[in-house]
Amino acid sequence: MLGIDTCLAEVMAIPGALDAMLVDHTSGMAVAFSQASGVDADRSAAALTEALRATSDGLARTCPGDVVRIDDMMVTTDKGHHLLRLMETVFEGPLVIYVRLDLERANLALARHRLQSIAGRLTT
Amino acid sequence: MTKLDSLLAGLARERSTGALRVGRSGTIFLSDGRVTYMECAHTPSFERLLTARGRMSEAALRGAQSDGGRDRLLREGSITQGELQYAVLGVVLDAAFFLLPMSGTRPKFRPGEEHWLGGQWFFDVAGLVRECARRRAQLAGIWPSADVDTSPVRPATALAGQAVTLDRVQWEVLVQADRRATPLELAKQIGRSGYSVLLAVRRLAAAGLLCPPDPPDGPPGQDPDPLSAGDERTLPRRARGELPRPPHHPEAPRLPAGPPVTGDPTDIALLLRLKKALEELS
Repeated sequence: MLGIDTCLAEVMAIPGALDAMLVDHTSGMAVAFSQASGVDADRSAAALTEALRATSDGLARTCPGDVVRIDDMMVTTDKGHHLLRLMETVFEGPLVIYVRLDLERANLALARHRLQSIAGRLTT
Repeated sequence: MTKLDSLLAGLARERSTGALRVGRSGTIFLSDGRVTYMECAHTPSFERLLTARGRMSEAALRGAQSDGGRDRLLREGSITQGELQYAVLGVVLDAAFFLLPMSGTRPKFRPGEEHWLGGQWFFDVAGLVRECARRRAQLAGIWPSADVDTSPVRPATALAGQAVTLDRVQWEVLVQADRRATPLELAKQIGRSGYSVLLAVRRLAAAGLLCPPDPPDGPPGQDPDPLSAGDERTLPRRARGELPRPPHHPEAPRLPAGPPVTGDPTDIALLLRLKKALEELS
């Protein structure tokens, strides 16, 4: 079983992980984050929450008649991959795991699989 | 800094362990100067969340509370370590949001007392205060008026447009709203944090999905205006919002009782500097 701090260490152990963060989606607060230089955790947590919110709003419009439930979200930029995994918990949430991956070294499929397994161990 | 903030900061400096009881409003548990748990009478407690969301029966929870505590809770498998930490984090921040601004009662500190969950997560007092301020700013950014926080939630009966998207908490609030319950009462009914319900209600208000509060039925604390209350029924009423009235006019909409939520302190400083500069010019 994983705690919140040990979960973050496991995320950072994914090959190619540059930095990672746990975000409370309701309030946009950084629950835990790895030490990355030059990143304002509070600000990036709030911004990621807004991005997720905009995505689910957009998807709600594109699939009328469906209830949108995002499991994960992947964005690839010219510098790297960004992975977000949403976890439902007993309390509200979702709790979001965010990880930034190196473009060259990371394997996106592997990283996604590892995130899925970490999320499973954190909440069940 | 409010009184409770500075009292807490003092206890943190002395690295105290114990429980600070704030009248009937709530209790703050400290361990070695750091906050381990906080409960507030206005927000759902950890126990309430577990039972309201159907994770545990009240009897099983009482059993764990009286014997075994956190270890038994985890052993019996109704909640994982990660979920417990996350739930405590949410409950404490939610309680802090409503408890820290309170004043009036004299808090009593009882050294040595512990919460049955023990230490799950350790908050430093300055961090708690900072997060509460951030949350207040977030609320004000969505919808500036705090009136909707305390008055009954009354959804609009018709949509002003063709379609709208709602998130989960907004949906739950709309389903549960009986036009009498306030946001914090709804939070306890649906088992969500008080803050998440305030966020949902302010987003609903910003989207124009709530009825505007009526002046005669307004939130408590704003006593009806004696001048306009008597002849309101007999006189033809002017359409609301047709002509803005100056704030000193007897029929003008009343200003909120508390300090303005979005009041920018730099404005006053700027005006003072302008005034000084103009005086120096002349």
